[in-house]
Amino acid sequence: MRALAAAAVGLAAALALVLTVTAIGAPTGETSPKPLLTTVPGPKD
Amino acid sequence: MRSRAGLVLVALAVFLAALSPLLRWYAFPRLAKIPAGQYQEMVLEAKPATLLDYGTLEAKKVEKVTIVQTLKGNVEESERIERTAGRDVVVWDSLSYIQGPDGAMVSRIPERYIFDAHTQEPVHATGESVDGDAVRREGIEFKWPFLTEKRDYVYFDAQARTSAPIHYKGTRQYRGLEVYYFEQTIPWTKVPYPKRMPIPGIDATTLERQTGTTRWYTTKRMFWVEPVTGAPVNGEEIHREELRGGSLLGGRDKVTAFAGHVKMRPDYVDSTVELVTSQRGTVLLLTSYLPWGFLAGGAALLALALWLEARGRRPDPAGDAPAPEPLRV
Repeated sequence: MRALAAAAVGLAAALALVLTVTAIGAPTGETSPKPLLTTVPGPKD
Repeated sequence: MRSRAGLVLVALAVFLAALSPLLRWYAFPRLAKIPAGQYQEMVLEAKPATLLDYGTLEAKKVEKVTIVQTLKGNVEESERIERTAGRDVVVWDSLSYIQGPDGAMVSRIPERYIFDAHTQEPVHATGESVDGDAVRREGIEFKWPFLTEKRDYVYFDAQARTSAPIHYKGTRQYRGLEVYYFEQTIPWTKVPYPKRMPIPGIDATTLERQTGTTRWYTTKRMFWVEPVTGAPVNGEEIHREELRGGSLLGGRDKVTAFAGHVKMRPDYVDSTVELVTSQRGTVLLLTSYLPWGFLAGGAALLALALWLEARGRRPDPAGDAPAPEPLRV
């Protein structure tokens, strides 16, 4: 019985972690201030 | 289960074992997405090429034609569309700027491409366009979905404004990466003139109606796609354009407007391979390394917990054995 309770705690913790991380998600970022290019750029670094 | 250590180990084992499928099949599809604010530039070259001299309307061999392609994520527009679409959306404003050997503009074609940030499926919203014309895309453009499959996809052709299958032609090695090779051939198709062309005094939007001269195009499009990220690491086109009939050509049936084998500039191939290799590692972390690692860790902790339990239940050989009888001499 105590082992089942321990397993349930582990499962709940995994669910809570994954749901939290996916709810936060990745940051959206901002629109780049760089323009759409109309000149040929030099060699790429 | 008697010992406290055993119970903690069971909880940790279940925690890790549960994280494995949750990460792969729940978290990954929700976390893996194209960033809305991505900015990317690409330079492609056709060396040599055939290009129409719009002054004389004669096709000429030139040393090089350059295409500068910029993709810029429009975050404000993506947030606006997300409010009604109810899913993560990316809006790419792109410009293909074509430049002749003398540095003069040959044409410039802006596009707005709106798609699902996770699946790359097109999202139809106001503003979706090619060269100012409203379009309704089907299929993919520029990029394949994460975890690309060995199958044909539908690819949007911006020149023809239509979609057609792009065929999976096999798995190849490209600069140390395993890639899927895709190929699409667009047969000769009548296409609109670009709105911006280097013909002084002529409005490209009414050129066909005024002269009867039409623009035709065919291309063989090739992509080498890294399947984990879905990002092309190389792209080429064998591209031909012709002007046909009408009064513009002075009695000729057709004239080549452009012909060339367009390839990515080598420094951009290098940087693309480097970028994709790094992103591949991140995607593999979520789809493979961490899920398998968690599963193995969970199994190891469970085994340890069972071993501790078994050891705790084993009778103590020293305590239970009968005392030896004293020696009698």
